[in-house]
Amino acid sequence: MAIRTPSQTIGPFFHVGLKWEGGEKVAFQTAGTPLVLTGRVYDGSGAVIADALIETWQAGPDGAAPRGGPSAKAAGYSRAATDSEGRYRIETLMPGACTGPGGENYPPQIHVTIFARGLLKALRTRAILADAESARTDPLVQAAGARAATLIAARDPKNAGTWHWDIRFQGKDETAFIDA
Amino acid sequence: MSPRDRTDVDPPYDYPPYKSTKLRAPKQPLIRVAPHPIETAGPVFPQTFVKDAEADLTTWGKGAPLGEKMILTGRITDEDGKPVTHSLLELWQCNASGRYAHPVDQHDAPLDPNFLGQGKVLTGAEGEYRFVTVKPGAYPWRNHPWAWRPAHIHLSLFGNAYSQRLITQLFFPGDPLLPIDPVFNSVSDASARERMVCTLDLEQGVEEVALGYRFDIVLRGANATPMGH
Repeated sequence: MAIRTPSQTIGPFFHVGLKWEGGEKVAFQTAGTPLVLTGRVYDGSGAVIADALIETWQAGPDGAAPRGGPSAKAAGYSRAATDSEGRYRIETLMPGACTGPGGENYPPQIHVTIFARGLLKALRTRAILADAESARTDPLVQAAGARAATLIAARDPKNAGTWHWDIRFQGKDETAFIDA
Repeated sequence: MSPRDRTDVDPPYDYPPYKSTKLRAPKQPLIRVAPHPIETAGPVFPQTFVKDAEADLTTWGKGAPLGEKMILTGRITDEDGKPVTHSLLELWQCNASGRYAHPVDQHDAPLDPNFLGQGKVLTGAEGEYRFVTVKPGAYPWRNHPWAWRPAHIHLSLFGNAYSQRLITQLFFPGDPLLPIDPVFNSVSDASARERMVCTLDLEQGVEEVALGYRFDIVLRGANATPMGH
């Protein structure tokens, strides 16, 4: 087997090359329920991270992986840099639930990749879009044990369709990241 | 030993010589979990996502950018040698003086009005790609006293599956700054570090116009997972 090319940090200047016009708005071939996922990214001192890049990949409303795109975009995928307050915001559709090859029950969720200066390789995790009870069947939630709450997004009580989900690189509520 | 230690070439998150890792490297163990069913698929970028002109970084301004013009070309394959076709490859870099066209970059070196330092292509049917650019300069940074980054080009790759996503940096052969660069040296394995160094390949250049450099990239197998096969 050939040796893989190693990962390196994205550094502080990635906006030069990785800016996508409307990258935070996810395209799909099918209609569905609009969803906003938003939150802030924090470092180990509790400071916001204003130079992170968030990318998301998700199933369509039918629970299947999107293929191709209806437009000039790749369906199902988003990219958003955090702003000066460490905030990201993705406009998408609610993904469908799906079942794994071993019968695993995956509630609706969004796969998240995080790049930043100071990260020599990307962080990977999943934001679960379900209440704590329904999220309990999810394999990652189960594997995360006491840290499961860090994976579960919270519905905005005032804005239907908006979910909040913060990412913490370190600290008491460090987000559960995946060994990917 | 985990099932994938054999091929785990990536740097650690926590790497003290690179100061910014201190507050950003996760402290808790990463979680092993089976891949979600959609992770073996990935985004498919339509041909219209890139324009032909985006492969040439030297034609964006009113004139040619300053610096050493170069062709960067290579092939993207996975660990099993399978070509990574029709996949998005994005590139960004500083100019020949070592300055990024970015508001955060305060290095006291001139901007080049004819160089933005951004490019993107989709790989071809054999996984091949080709950019025209100028060789980036080295620049100082504040990681430690007398710290200078060696000349490098940032590359972002999607592969053909979500699990293949990679962002890396390309370095130049014989650069005296390589042995003292904490980012480059965060990769502990010498042969893996070599993977990040391009090779001079004159015949890939354009005679009397541009130097040719070759940089082949190897991504994780599309079906490889942390849980083994």
